[in-house]
Parts: sequence; structure tokens; C-alpha cells
Amino acid sequence: MSDTLAPPPTKGLDADGLLAAYTTMRTIRAFEERVHEEFASGDIPGFVHLYAGEEASAAGVCAHLDVRDSIASTHRGHGHCIAKGVDPVAMMAEIYGKLEGSCRGKGGSMHIADLSKGMLGANGIVGGGPPLICGTALAAKLQGTGGIGVAFFGDGASNQGTTLEALNLATVWNLPAVFVAENNGYAETTSSTWSVASDNIADRAAAFGMPGVIVDGFDFFAVYEAAGEAVARAREGGGPTLIEMKFTRYYGHFEGDQQTYRGDEVAQARASLDCLLRFRDQVTSAGQLTAAQLDQVDAEVAALIDEAVAKAKGGTAPTEADLLTDVYISY
Amino acid sequence: MSDAVVGIVANPLSGRDIRRLVARATVFPTTEKAGMVLRLLAALGAAGVRQALVATDLGGISATVARGLTWRGGTTWPEVAFLDGEPVTQTAADTTAAVRRMVAQGARVVVCLGGDGTARVAAEACGDVPLLPLSTGTNNTYARMTEATVAGLAAALVATGAVPAAAATTRSPLLRVRCGEASASALVDVAVSTTRHRGARAVWDPAGLTELFCTFAEPGAIGLSSIPALVAPCPRTSPDGVAVRLGRPARTVVLAPLAPGLVLPVEVADLRPLRPGRPVTVATRAGVVAVDGERELEFGPDDEVTVVLDPAGPHCIDVGTVLSVAARDGLLSSTPDPQEEPR
Repeated sequence: MSDTLAPPPTKGLDADGLLAAYTTMRTIRAFEERVHEEFASGDIPGFVHLYAGEEASAAGVCAHLDVRDSIASTHRGHGHCIAKGVDPVAMMAEIYGKLEGSCRGKGGSMHIADLSKGMLGANGIVGGGPPLICGTALAAKLQGTGGIGVAFFGDGASNQGTTLEALNLATVWNLPAVFVAENNGYAETTSSTWSVASDNIADRAAAFGMPGVIVDGFDFFAVYEAAGEAVARAREGGGPTLIEMKFTRYYGHFEGDQQTYRGDEVAQARASLDCLLRFRDQVTSAGQLTAAQLDQVDAEVAALIDEAVAKAKGGTAPTEADLLTDVYISY
Repeated sequence: MSDAVVGIVANPLSGRDIRRLVARATVFPTTEKAGMVLRLLAALGAAGVRQALVATDLGGISATVARGLTWRGGTTWPEVAFLDGEPVTQTAADTTAAVRRMVAQGARVVVCLGGDGTARVAAEACGDVPLLPLSTGTNNTYARMTEATVAGLAAALVATGAVPAAAATTRSPLLRVRCGEASASALVDVAVSTTRHRGARAVWDPAGLTELFCTFAEPGAIGLSSIPALVAPCPRTSPDGVAVRLGRPARTVVLAPLAPGLVLPVEVADLRPLRPGRPVTVATRAGVVAVDGERELEFGPDDEVTVVLDPAGPHCIDVGTVLSVAARDGLLSSTPDPQEEPR
């Protein structure tokens, strides 16, 4: 890179912003790869659904969000949590079912929530998130907070009545909402090319009077640009948008899934499409960040995940006395 | 029934990008693309084409067409062969592979459904086989908006030899871009921007645009070619293209329709003819090159980027011309036999 040529900024993203985006994606990846390893040892109770491969979606969307905004997630929620600012150490403790967890160990992987961060929760109900977001978006609109709601959901959820009702309601109420369809090709084990009539989830947006856009979900910059426009439109009162991310999840539907329903697309994606590899290549060849800066992030994230796992394993197991705490609320 | 074969490829991803969001551009749903393919097939069958080769995709088009063919409803379908059995990558490589297979299997016309980007990819693969591009994209400058049924008749007339290809096609030029090892081509425009990443691919924001090269620039067009078109029009029939420097010091400010729903002022510093066969080196030192409105190649200060106007592009079918010949020569009309019962 020549000294005389200052690289023009990527719209709205300076070097700090790029580093933050990379840190988010790397944290998600390292978190998920580690949960994959640790789950095999049998210490983690319940099911885990890993987000590895899809990092650019959570990071590229949440980079535009702040404390006013809320997100609803899916059963595959770790990435959304991390991107929205939930503490990975508390998340790991939650997955291990410990009192130090985000939800005092009662939620586990599929129900991590942190309302203080605007993270309404991972959600075991397929298609459960979009109606929740209509609620928070309506609240933001009525209270004039300037906040927006973002619902992440999968290709399976795209066929649920709850999702379609939420899309309709969002337009009818002109809500400040963004619907992010994360189409990783399979609803559990069912191919979306078989189960999604019209095949493109984004096609459905037109029926609800909102823009529908398809984005390469492996490309952080593509996600970032599209999400930026959708978030700005929502904040300015322009109404909801549907964005469909196309990508592949790197692991099975859940840990332990034998994946007999798919071919070698994961190996191909990891080799040539991976969002972290592409981001590294793009920002270093454009002279925006150095490989050393990115390596340092990798090292810091690795240390953080080691710490999270050590603390989770050494955390406090709930006792019988904790069973009914935080379960009921009196109005 | 003739031995004519026609290939049909439809891009499942055209008409879907960020311009739906930033510029309220047309949505081209899968169901409409499949409907267009079925209308093409109906016209091909009616006009005596023996076989249609239809590309397969994972976007739902070929599946919807296959379902549609199960109901005849008075239509004479040609024999339809789906080009399956090869891996689908869901990238432009699928269009390239499908068109090559069509050419290898004897297609006499290739019909492609997509935007200018899809037509460009099909053009590179179809060689001397006439190409009929139908617009299902966003910027419809090269590919024309034509009813698929009428386009199907024109494709059939050329494929059966009823209208000689030489009388019905014109050879379009291509812009060829070289950037180190990488290369790309464009049917309408090559734009250079200081934007750093391919990002959401489409170009809709004039900020950062520095240079623009067009094969032609006709008033009435939408997209980047509208910039020179509204100052110094350059018709499709001209052997020259046009090269534009954008930004300051501005000689002219053009209010240009850059995308559907998007009319913006663009500063033009300089305009000059682009002569065929003479490579021009891009002056911008780092950024991206967009071909037909899509950011394609990223380059840095160490990369030399050149653009050349190549007159030997695809042989493109003009639907209106074909049907004019058909009208003149009575190819689609006949004198009824007075002995026959009235229909």
C-alpha cells in the first residue's frame, strides 16, 4: 500500500469498526468450535445448535444496532447473543447450566437471554421470534425511542404461520422492524429447496408490501451494506424489510446430527466461502487492517474462550433451593 | 416438426439485490420467471421447435416449469429436456455451464432470462449461437422487456431457419476488463469506483464513481449508461463506445436515472469516444470495477486495470426485426383451404 494513498473508508466503517466486526465474528466462531469440542465430552446438558458458518449475518446486522434496539433469535442463537453484546463468559456458564450463567443456568443453550442488552432470547419455538419483534417494534414506535426490532429466523420458520402473520402485521402497523431470514439450506434435515414454495424467502416480501433482498450471507460487507440500509429505513419510519441470507451451517442441525441428508457443501464452504477468511483477505488486501492486527484479535478471543470454559466448568451448580427462583412473577 | 433445438436459461437470482431496498426496484419472483419460461415453451411448440433444453436451478424455476408442463391445457409443448445431472453452484458459473451444454447439444438459439449481468454471462458462453436476452433483472438496458410469448415466436423462427440468423441478429460489442490475473466483461458499462469492497454488489450510489466506459449510451436507458446518454448519446449501432471521467472539476452535472426509483445528480468531468480495439488504462489507483452495474473486481495500487472495446460480442436476436421478416414473408400466416370446415 502506497503512503500517498489513504484508503477510502468503507461506508460507515473505520478501522475500529472493522476490528470490532472481525472480533465479533471470531468470537462467535471460537465459541462455537469450542462448544462443539466440549459437547463431545458429555459435560454440557441438553441440546446445542451451532451457528458456525453464519457469523457474518449476526455481526453484519448487529453492527448497526445499539441499546435502543432489540433482537429475537432462534434455537441457533449463540451468534446473535454475542453480536448483540451478551457476555460470552456468562453464556458459556449458561450452556453448562451454572448459576453464573446469563439466566442463572435455567435456560441453557436454547434460551439464553439478556434483556439489558436487548437480546430477547434464543427461542426453542420455530417462528417464535418474529411476533415478539412486532411487539418491541410497536413499543419503540409508540414510545418514540428511535429503536428498532430485528427478528432472526430460519428457512424452517419462514414457513410458519407466526412468521407470515408477523410480516403482515409489521407492514400494517408500519413497524420499525427488520426480518432476517437465515436460509442455511435445511430446516433440521429438510432441504429448503423442497420445503419453501417459490424457494426464495425474499420473494414473499412483495406479498406483504415490503422490500425483500437476497444477500450472500458469507460476505460480511454484503450483509453490512444491506442491513445498514434496512436499519436506516426502519429508524426513519420507512417500515419493515425482509433480508434473506443464503449460506451453509458448518455443523449439523444439533450436535450429534449424523447429517446423512447433505453432501460435501460444508467442506467447500469452509475452503472457499468462509466469512472470516474472506473478511481477512478483503481488509488486508485493501490495506484497511494488517494481518498482525487480526492475529492479535484471534489470540485475545482464544484466551477469552479458554477463560469462559474454565469458569463454566468451575461454576456453581444450582441446588434444589434454586428451582423455583426467577420462575414466577407477581404483577 | 423441424429438428430445431432452443436452449432456455433463467437466472434464479436476478432482480433480487439491494436495489429492491434502496431504490424500490422491481421484484421478479420465481413464479413469474417460471411463467415466462412456460410462455416461451408454448410459443416454441406452436411454431414447430422440436426440442427445448431448459437449465436446472436450485431457485425453484425449473421445478415450477416441470410442474407446469404436467398440464397441457390446449398447449403444444415441444419436447423439453432439463439439463440436470451437474452440480448447481448457485453462482454465475451455472449459467455458463448450462449455455455451454446447450451449444454442445445443438441449440440454434439460446434464450436467457435475467438482467444485463445474466446476458453478459450467457453471451460469453454462447459463441456464435444467436442469443435472445429477456429482462428479468433490475437494469434492463441490454436485455429488452419483451413479452416471452412473442420472444418465443422469434426464437422459433430463427431456430427453425424460417428467418435466417444473419437477417435477424446484430453483433453486440463487449467491454473487456483486465486486472492482473482477473478479467471480466460487460455488455453495457464498466464503472470504476473508489469503494473498497464488492459488498452488496449493485452500484447505486454515485459517490466514489471515478470512471465509466459504455459500449453504447442511449437516451431512454436506465443505469450508469444514462449518464453519457443524456449529454452525448452514442447509439447501439455506433462502432465507438464512450469513456467518461466523473467527479471534479465538473464540466456538466447530469440528472441521471441510475436505477429504478433513483434519479441523482452526477458530476461529469470529461467525455470522449472509446475506439474499438484500443485498450485504455484506468487512472483510479484502488477500488472496485463494476461490470453492467455489479461490483466485480477489487484492485489495489499495484494492479493495472485496462478496458478495451471488443466489437466481436454476441449475435443478438432482435425480436421486432424477426417478426417484421415473418410478416413480410407470410411465415406465420396461411391461406385457408376453402374445402375445410370453418374453425
